[in-house]
Formats: sequence, structure tokens, C-alpha cells
Amino acid sequence: MLDTLLPILLFSALLLAAIGAVRRVRLWRQGRPSSVPVIKGLMQVPRRYLVDLHHVVERDKYISHTHVATAGGFVLAALLAIVVHGFGLQSAILGWVLLAATTSMFIGSLLVAKRRSPPPSRLSKGPWMRLPKSLMAFSLGMFAVTLPTAGILPEGVFQSGLGWIAALVLAAVIVWGLGEMFFGMTWGGPMKHAFAGALHLAFHRRPERFSDGTGGEHRSTGLKALKLDDDNAKLGVEKPADFTWNQLLGFDACVQCGRCEAMCPAFAAGQPLNPKKLIQDMVVGMAGGSDAKYYGSPYPGKPVGEHEGHPHGPIVARQGTSLVDPETLWSCTTCRACVEECPMMIEHVDAIVDMRRFLTLEHGNTPNKGAEVLDNLIATDNPGGFDPDSRLHWAADLNLPLMADKQEADVLLWLGDGVFDMRNQRTLRAFISVLRAANVDFAVLGNEERDSGDVARRLGDEATFQTLARRNIQTLSRYRFARIVTCDPHSFHVLKNEYGELGTAQTPADYHVQHHSTYISELVSANKLTFKAWKGGSVTYHDPCYLGRYNGEYEAPRDVLKALGIEIKEMARSGYRSRCCGGGGGAPITDIPGKQRIPDMRMEDVRETGADLVAVGCPQCTAMLEGVVEPRAGIKDIAELVADALIIETPADQSPQRQQAPAAPRPALEVAS
Amino acid sequence: MAFEALFKPIQIGSQTIRNRVVSTAHAEVYATDGGMTTDRYVKYYEEKAKGGCGLCICGGSSIVSIDSPQGWWSSVNLSTDRIIPHFQNLADAVHKHGGKIMIQITHMGRRSRWDGYDWSTLLSPSGIREPVHRSTCKTIEVEEIHRIIHDFTQAARRAKEGGLDGVELSAVHQHLIDQFWSPRVNKRTDEWGGTFENRMRFGLEVLKAVRAEVGDDFVVGMRITGDEFHPDGLTHEDMKQIAAYYDATGMVDYFGVVGSGCDTHNTLANVIPNMSFPPEPFLHLASGIKEVVNVPVIHAQNIKDPNQAQRILEGGYVDLVGMTRAHIADPHIIAKIKNNQIDQIKQCVGANYCIDRQYQGLDVLCIQNAATSREYMGLPHIIEKTEGPKRKVVVVGGGPAGMEAARVCAERGHDVTLFEAGEQIGGQITIASKAPQRDQIAGITRWYQLELNRLEVDQRLGTRADEATIQDLRPDVVILATGGRPFLTQVPEWGYDADTDKSLVVSTWDILEGRVEPGKNVLIFDTICEFSGVSAADYLADKGAKVEIVTDDIKPGAAVGGTTFPTYYRSLYEKEVIMTSDLALHKVYREGDSLVAVLENEYTGALEERVVDQVVVENGVRPDETLYYALKERSRNKGQTDIEALYAIKPQPCLQEPGEGFALFRLGDCTAPRNTHAAIYDALRLCKDF
Ligand SMILES: Cc1cc2nc3c(=O)[nH]c(=O)nc-3n(C[C@H](O)[C@H](O)[C@H](O)COP(=O)(O)O)c2cc1C
Ligand code: SF4
Ligand code: SF4
Ligand code: SF4
Repeated sequence: MLDTLLPILLFSALLLAAIGAVRRVRLWRQGRPSSVPVIKGLMQVPRRYLVDLHHVVERDKYISHTHVATAGGFVLAALLAIVVHGFGLQSAILGWVLLAATTSMFIGSLLVAKRRSPPPSRLSKGPWMRLPKSLMAFSLGMFAVTLPTAGILPEGVFQSGLGWIAALVLAAVIVWGLGEMFFGMTWGGPMKHAFAGALHLAFHRRPERFSDGTGGEHRSTGLKALKLDDDNAKLGVEKPADFTWNQLLGFDACVQCGRCEAMCPAFAAGQPLNPKKLIQDMVVGMAGGSDAKYYGSPYPGKPVGEHEGHPHGPIVARQGTSLVDPETLWSCTTCRACVEECPMMIEHVDAIVDMRRFLTLEHGNTPNKGAEVLDNLIATDNPGGFDPDSRLHWAADLNLPLMADKQEADVLLWLGDGVFDMRNQRTLRAFISVLRAANVDFAVLGNEERDSGDVARRLGDEATFQTLARRNIQTLSRYRFARIVTCDPHSFHVLKNEYGELGTAQTPADYHVQHHSTYISELVSANKLTFKAWKGGSVTYHDPCYLGRYNGEYEAPRDVLKALGIEIKEMARSGYRSRCCGGGGGAPITDIPGKQRIPDMRMEDVRETGADLVAVGCPQCTAMLEGVVEPRAGIKDIAELVADALIIETPADQSPQRQQAPAAPRPALEVAS
Repeated sequence: MAFEALFKPIQIGSQTIRNRVVSTAHAEVYATDGGMTTDRYVKYYEEKAKGGCGLCICGGSSIVSIDSPQGWWSSVNLSTDRIIPHFQNLADAVHKHGGKIMIQITHMGRRSRWDGYDWSTLLSPSGIREPVHRSTCKTIEVEEIHRIIHDFTQAARRAKEGGLDGVELSAVHQHLIDQFWSPRVNKRTDEWGGTFENRMRFGLEVLKAVRAEVGDDFVVGMRITGDEFHPDGLTHEDMKQIAAYYDATGMVDYFGVVGSGCDTHNTLANVIPNMSFPPEPFLHLASGIKEVVNVPVIHAQNIKDPNQAQRILEGGYVDLVGMTRAHIADPHIIAKIKNNQIDQIKQCVGANYCIDRQYQGLDVLCIQNAATSREYMGLPHIIEKTEGPKRKVVVVGGGPAGMEAARVCAERGHDVTLFEAGEQIGGQITIASKAPQRDQIAGITRWYQLELNRLEVDQRLGTRADEATIQDLRPDVVILATGGRPFLTQVPEWGYDADTDKSLVVSTWDILEGRVEPGKNVLIFDTICEFSGVSAADYLADKGAKVEIVTDDIKPGAAVGGTTFPTYYRSLYEKEVIMTSDLALHKVYREGDSLVAVLENEYTGALEERVVDQVVVENGVRPDETLYYALKERSRNKGQTDIEALYAIKPQPCLQEPGEGFALFRLGDCTAPRNTHAAIYDALRLCKDF
């Protein structure tokens, strides 16, 4: 009986899965077009899966082993089951392999079950709770029906009297297993992630993210430019269908593992954002319906079941609620911790900024200080609304060489808007003294410099970003320099990764840009700087998101600190897992309240190390962390630490013709007689 | 950015000034070796530049000619080329930190003394005597006018050759240029006096000649008054006319404007307004001048707070603010604003210790900052943490000496416990601040309180330390700064008794602290003649008492400085306080409900009596030595401070050597009564190497 039943079950499950797949694909196709190389993409899947995705998954060894056992076992078992039980190729060898595959899958499912008893809060419950059992059903069922094939049980064992009953039970188990694994895969069950995930790897919107076997950095973190020249095109994403189809596909790949949630600083601070829920809301929106069937942690302070959406309905309602509330989108610091952690390579930040673009450009609805900052950027080229001609006021006594005078320099020092902030001026002064100590040929743009556009872009004001960027590109095109160096990772990021797209043939914008820590580390390696021995207390280092996760620079700042004789007490969350200071993405401007403040949490991380000082490399981090009430560790930019440690050789006597002032005999206290 | 207006650079002539804050010209009294800007001088200005000051105008009243005597105030001597290399050192030190430096140059005319040094004959347009210095002078001759104009040019040349950024011509405080301006002093009938143009001539010729000498790439400014506040002096309208006249020449790069003339004791007190004045009392005068000139205007007079400065600049009243005493009190004021450490700024309290010393020809010192002008001796404004052992330090007494000792030791990184018997720290500063118009002196304590809190000093207030409490803390160092008590037992006939009800006399502390109700008819006998006597008189009169203040010295308040006694006198005369000199308190006895004070004339021995209901005696302080003698024998150094090390600002040897037990030191009035500065200076130089 099983011989007849199994092929029927298998093929109907496959058929149903195929129908489901078509329906699913149609959901994705609601999105805007986005051209991808289909065949090439599909060919890349194994490598992207085994190298790139595995690289992320492997950070959690337990789940990585579990997934290899379960998924590897399942893929093999499914293929063999089709061959052996579908097409009836009763080979003992294949039978044995199938037994091995189902065993592996079964062990994997035990591990899954263990992880979920009880599940950590980041994992979704609901249907996900039955997944381990379904996996067991599939693997056990397949295992049992394959025993005769392998010759372990005699042929026809399922035909005897008792065998019939066993066969019926097994058939039921297999129906369950097939239902979850094949049918569920395309009809929205937990296994959907495998189907969507594989295609997402194939058609990812940022193919540059993936390794291609040639080695080197594979990073794609710059936001993509919005085409502003079409007056009729909607700016940004209003409705789920306004995402590109492969973005929708990406959302659908989410396994609800909650790794993003566990890393999200806004979520931890109790702000109404949870990146996992956000992605799930996009899935809800794309299919239409309410979020009531979401079984993970909600947005803090927002109960589940009160929001609903539609592929062609607005994501954020102008009034009342729809799919997502605006404060959810404005809570994000664009720190990329979620993207960095996501095993499914989902691009949360792109999605958030896409939706912000619509709110800002079409609704003109940027909360709190947002509108004011954007107005300032438009009127004065800087977010604070300061007189644009006052960029060098802080440096009146430094005689900074201007590009306009020099035309050419080795280093173009990009000062950033920190010029308007007294705290950051100290960092800049320190860095300038380092450059001078190393006799670097540098110059600044001075009043010709404008805000890099970073904040405007993250706040969704793509128009202002592009205007600022184009004007900066124009200015830069007038001068010759080997590299741009800046103390501001945000400027660093946009100059390095986001200006390129806006360059033209006449004014290309592909610069060699370096963060000051990288440049200092080069100066150190070239023996251009000499330092006093470190006498301060213990030090930890905070990785700025836009330097670390966005640009992969984790080593240079650490190398510089080591060169100063500092032994770094690392925080539990450092490197690619560094917790955001709360200052990115315009978050301090939109200022969405939560239960605690992100910088307070970060300083708590610092406190746990027992360090007296936290070294930073970003004006925004400095400002956020220094805003934390004392007592707390001191905060210093790397440039300041370096400048403090410099041994500067003063030329013995600059002017030999100078008369020597006679030394007068001097009493301790000089009192006029 | 906060303080945007404060940190906006400005162009003065050929120079860019990095911010709007100026240390205006003040006679420092540090130029040694015949008026040279030697080490102390250079380090003093370097500290301001390091601290972020935009422009230093040094050398208040620096002389251009040898008949404007240099020695009285050790002012800078620009009458010789010998100054040039010294200027180069000075300019380098300031420029190194991004600051700019100019110098005020002048001929003081009659405003000096002739009875010393070269015994010069002083000069003035019409030979009229000057009252403040009691100086007589000759009528200047035309040949001398031309010589002095030439001297000005040579002085300016020397400043330029020395690398300074400019000169300021002093036409303020009744120096020679404004002596010519003033019809009160200039009675000439030749072309140098009489009409407006004639009175302007000398200044104009100086300006033209100096500009011709130095060219355009060197700043030439002018300091003027905004109103002499003299019935027959130059009014605000006159000064607007004068300023506009000189401005029209296009040769002046900026004007500094000061309110008030200063050739009487009373007007002098306006020039450097002490704590009895409101903030920026004369800003309107500078603003008035700004209306009529086309170049930047600087104003200094009681601008001490960053917010105040920002407000003034933002309002556009003037272009730059002088924060001169603010810098004497804390040369790092600008850096602290920038470092967001505004609470750590040691704000000038207007005690005018600095200027009152200057008027006596003594080096300018700050009452509350002993490091100022002692940078060259190695006294730090910013105290570094020790690299030696961390010590347990017990400080007893929270007056100036104790507060400074606790602060310095805590900055060094030691574990400090401060005992204070009273409910708050401050010691005699707290008492002094109770008098009318003297409340701002409490600013000294306020700063210490903030610092001690910031440095987490364990402050045991309301706790009188004894041997046992101190021993319990197992200290490495014990510093006694227990001060003293009013010394009323010196003359038994005064009838003092520790029981206030029985005592015939009370102390000024009793009065100011409110421990004794003010009488209705009060005699104050003040043999000390410092602040406490006149303060008590002012306080009592303020409460409605009829007051007579009597001294056996030459006048009540005789030891109060030149810019402060006038404001006391204004207040005391207004309240009809009687001030009597040359009488000593011989005896006090009770007669019915009244007290009879018997006074003895210092010069005739004649006795006279006053019938009053309260007798207040100010006879100084008697050190409180009990705790010291209780601890002395047990200390490893027997309580001895090595004064050679102390005066040389070197570490105390007893702390360098191994030894058992604690080291014991005494500071401030518990050794001998001196003053606030002495207490703070000793505390700083003793503790800075702990
Ligand atoms: C010790 C001292 C000496 C001074 N000497 C001069 C001087 O020689 N020439 C001058 O123009 N002003 C002199 N001044 C006045 C100052 O330049 C300034 O106008 C005054 O201190 C008020 O400003 P402040 O409130 O910021 O201190 C002196 C001030 C002080 C405190
Ligand atoms: S980018 Fe950062 S703040 Fe934004 S959702 Fe991701 S983890 Fe949260
Ligand atoms: S978005 Fe990525 S990290 Fe977050 S739950 Fe989904 S799969 Fe996991
Ligand atoms: S002595 Fe007094 S007036 Fe002078 S600077 Fe110090 S605090 Fe100010």
C-alpha cells in the first residue's frame, strides 16, 4: 500500500508546493522592478549559502551545527525520497543514504527542540513551536519507510496485518512531515524561509555583498540613490508594493530567529522598534492582513493585533494606524547591527530609509527637530543652522592651509560639521597637531566644505543629500589630493561609499577616503610619530557603527591604541557586535522616547569592563557618551590620546640672528621697590 | 554651539583674533630688571594664551619716556632698545598657543610720583597737581611735546621689532594724552590747548607719528574713557566727539572704552569695579562710543561670566569683551568654557586684591588663585595626579587654607577627609560675606564647594575633630587649618567674657554672624582697619543702628585697598556712620542699662567717653593652637614645616623619607593671622607635591 501511497503523497505535496510557489512569487512580483541576472544569481546560491550565509550562521555554533544536520539532512532526504519512494528506485545503497540523511535530520530536529525548550525571547513561538516536531515527523517517517529499502526490514513488512496499521500510522506521520516541509514551504509555513531564502540569495539586491572567490572585502553598505529626476515617480516607499520585488522576497526569507532583535539598540532601550517585527510586518503587508498571527516580541509598548496592512495600502497612515507607526521607523539609529546579524542577509536599513524617504519627501513629516535640521541644511549647509562662513571660526589661531590657496595637498582633511561643536573642536585640534607633528602635507576646504549629507540622507531627505553631495563633489573636483582623511565616520562613509554613484564623467567621485585612525596607524607604521609611555588608567574602545560595521575598520584604531602602549579591555559587545551609541541615523534628532537611553546602556557596557576611559573615533559617539551623567568613564577621541602622547621635537633655535635676552637675577617674589 | 558670539574670530587691523575675549591692559608690576618682560612676565601671559584668551594687551601703563617713571609699578620700559629681545620671548610664548599680544604704551604725565628713582620732574599740559598721587608737576614745553611724540614712535617701533602684534595708546585714566584733552587739566592758550582741535592735537600727533613709524601691518589702538564722571570733566558727549574725531583719521584700529575718569579716590573705584558694583555697570558708555566709530570696540568692567559675555556680544553692544580680572582669577577660563567645565571656572569675585596691591606698587596677585603670576615658580593652575604613594590626608578646618589644602590633595589623587566644625565650609569668608555689598566674596567658597564635591572629598561638616577622630583615620598627613578666634582678651579693661550676656564687648564676628543682636547705639573700636571693622559698621548701620567707628590708626578702614575703601565710604557716609580716628579703646564699663566706652587720644592722652548700648571690638584673630599642641609630639615631623622647601616650592623632606606616624602641618590663621591669599598660597605650595 505504501508503495502506491507514498508517490501519491509525495507528488501531490510537490504539486501543492509548486502551486504555492507560484502564488508566493506573485506576491513578490507586486514589488517594483529590479533587474538581476537570473541564471548567474541562481548559480551563485550554493557559494552564497555555504560561504556568506554560513559565515553569519556560524557565529552561533550551536545553531550552525543544528542547521547543517537538519537542513543538510532534509535536502538530501527530500531528493532521495523523491527518487526512492516517488519514482520507486528501490536501491539498497540509496536506502542506506536516505537512512543516514533522515538520521542526521532527526538529530538536528532534537537540537532544534532543545533550543526551543523553553525558547529564548528573541525566537518566535506559534507555528515555530511545532517545527521541531514536524522535522521529527518527516525524518522519522521517512526513516521508517526506508528501512525495507535498505534491507533492514524485510520487503513487504508493511503489508502484513500489523504492518497495515503501522503503514497507516506512518502515512499519517509522513503527511504531517510533507505538509510542513513541502506544502508549508511555499504556503507560508516556517519552512518558507528555505524557499524564499534560497531565491533571496540568488536575487539579492546587493550582489556586491557576497564573496566571489577572488578574496578581498565584500561589503555593500552605502544607501542606493533615489532617482529624483522623474516628477511623477513616487519618492520612497509608501506601500509594501513600492519596495522592489527582490526586497519583498528578502523580507519573506526571514526565519524569525530574532538575532536582529537581540542586537537592536532601539529595541533594548524600549523604543517602539523591533527589526524582526518590522520585517514580519512587511510580510504581512505584502500578503495583506493583520499582525495578529505574529508570535514574537512586539514593538516595545505596542501590542500585537492592532495593525494591519495591504500590499497597496499605506504602510504608515497619515492619521490613525495602518501597518507600522512612524515612531517605529524614526527609532532606528541605522546602526546595521540587525543587518550584520541577519543569517538571511535581509537589509533592514535600506527598507527603513526607503520608508523614511516617503515620510520626509512626500509627507514632509520628520518628527521633532527633524524638520528644523533639514531646513537648516538647506539654508546653511549645516544641521545646526550656523553661519556657513563660520566653519573655521574655531581655528582662527591654527592658520590651517586652505585648498583654495594650495590647490594641491597630500591629505585633504575633511573637517565635518563637528567644527561647530566645541567638544569636537578639541578632537580636530588634536588631530591637526598630530598631522603637524608628522609633517603631513594637508589642507582643508574651509568655508567651501558643506555638510556631507549623511544626516539628511538617513532622515530620508534624499534631495538635500544629493544637492549637498553634488556641491561637495564639485568643490572637490577643483583640487588635487591623494586622499581624504576625516575624524568623522559618517562623513567617511558617505564620501567613500555613497558619493561614487553621484559622480559624473567630468567629476568622478571615487576618492581614497580614510578615517583618521587608519591614517594615524599608517603614520605610526611609517615611524612618523613618537610617543611617551602611556600613564593613564585602563582603556576600552567603542567601535563606531559607521567605521566598524559599515566599513569593516576594526583593527586600525586598536593598532593605534596598542602603539600608545594601551592594553584594551574589550567590551562584551565590540567589533562587529559593538552596540551603537545611539547617535546615528538622525536618531538624536527624531528623539523617539523609550524606557532608557541608548548611550546609557553603552556606558553600562563600558562600566562592566572597569575601564577608566573609553576611546572613541567619532564626534557623534563622543557627544552621546559624554551626555551620560557622571560618574562614568572618561571619553576621549583616539586623536586626543595620540596628541597627548606625542613627543614633539622643537627645533633648537629658529632664528640665530635673534639677540639673547639677558637673564636677570630674580628673587622668588618680585615686589616693586 | 553655545557661546557662538564669544568664539567668533574678529579682525582688528591686520590681525585676526581667534575669539572675542581680551585680557585688557593692566599694570602687572612684574617687569624686573628696569622694566623688562622677564620670565615671570612671559609665563604669566603664556598661561592666558594657553588657556585660550584671544588677545592679551599687556603692560598696563608701560612707559615710552624716561620722565614717566617706570619703577613705581615695575611697568614695562619701552624707552630703550634693551626691551626688544624680551618682547621676542613674550611674543613667541603667546603666539605659540595661538594668542595675540599687544602692549599699552603711554606717558603718564602728572599721574605718577616724582620722589624716587630718577627724581623726575613730572609734566602736564598746565602744571596742575594730581590728587591721587599727590603729585606736583611742571607745565610741559613744546620741545618736550615733540620729544615725547618721538618717544612714542620709538616705543611702538620696539614693540613691532619685538614681534608684538600692536600697541594701544593709553588716553584713559588721565594720562598725558587725555590730560591734553581735558579742559580741567589743560588750561593752555597755545596751539596745544583751548579749542577742541587744539586739545586733540597732542594725541593726534602721537597717532600720526606712530602710524607713520609702524605702517599698516601693525595694530594701533586707543583706550579712552566713555565719561569722566567729573562735574568739569569730559562727558559722554565729549567722548563721542573725540572718538569720532580720531576714528575719522582711519589710523586707529580699535577703541577700548572704560567708564569713569580716575584722578580722585572716588572715581578710581569705578574704573576697576569691585564686588559692590553690578555686572557691566558702564557698558552703555562703550556702546555709545561704538555708535560713532567704524572700528571694533573693546569694553572691560565687571564682565566675569561666560554667559554674561555671550549676552553682551550677542546683543552687539561691543565687539570684544575684556575679561581681565576674570583671567587673573582663572587664566583657563576660555578653555574651561570650551571643555564644558563652566562649573570649574574660578570666577573673579571682585575682591580687588589684585588692583589694591598694584596701587601700593606690589606685584599683582589674586586673592583666591595663588598660582597666578607664579607659573614661573612651578605653581600649577592644573594640578597633576601624583605618581607617588596615595596618602590618607586629614584636613581640619574648612576655611581658605583648609579648602585649598583639601582641593590640592584631592587633585593629587589622595584620599582626603575634611573636618569643619561649622555647618558649612568657608571660614572667615562666610563671615565677611554677611556685610552689605560683600556677599560676592562667598564666590570663593562656592567654587571650593563645587570642586570638593567634584573631587569627592569626604566632608565632615558640623564635626569638630579631636585627637581620637584623627588617629582613627590612620592618616599619613594631618593638616591643621583651624583658624582662630577674635582676640578680645588682650586688654582686660575691655571687659570681655566668654559668656555673651556678661561680656561688655562683642566681636565683629558676633555681629556679622548674627550671633548677637545689633544694638541701637553702637561704638565700634577697630584697631585693625581692614574689612571686618568697616563691614561691621556698614552692617549695623544697615540694620538701623547709630554707629560710630573709632580707630587709633590714621583713619577707619585705612588698610582697605584703594579701590575698595571708597565704596565703603560711600555707603558709610550715606548711612551717617561717624568715622573717628586717633582714639584707642581704653576701657568699658556698665552704667545702668548703658555701656560707657572710655577712649584715649593717641596723641594727647586725653580721655573721652561715649555712652552706647553696644561696644564692638575688632582686634584681629588669636590662633587656635590647642589641637596642634595635642598632636605635635606624636607627629613624625614634630609639626615643623621645612620653610626652605616651602619657599622654594619643593617637596617637604619629611614626606620623602621613611618614617613612622603622620606628618603634621599648620596652615592659615591657626599659625598667625594673615590673609586669605596667604592661607591659599601656603596651602598650594605645601600640598602641590604631596
Ligand atoms: C591690577 C590691575 C591693573 C590695571 N592697570 C591698568 C592700566 O595700567 N591701564 C589700563 O588702561 N587699565 C588698567 N586696569 C584696568 C583693566 O584694564 C580693566 O579695565 C579693569 O580691570 C576692568 O575690567 P575687568 O572687570 O575685566 O577686570 C588695571 C586693572 C587691574 C585689575
Ligand atoms: S539599524 Fe540598528 S537601530 Fe536600526 S533596526 Fe537595525 S539594529 Fe535596530
Ligand atoms: S530579519 Fe534576519 S535576523 Fe531578524 S529575525 Fe529575520 S532572519 Fe532573523
Ligand atoms: S583678587 Fe579679587 S578682584 Fe582680583 S582677580 Fe582675584 S578675585 Fe578678582
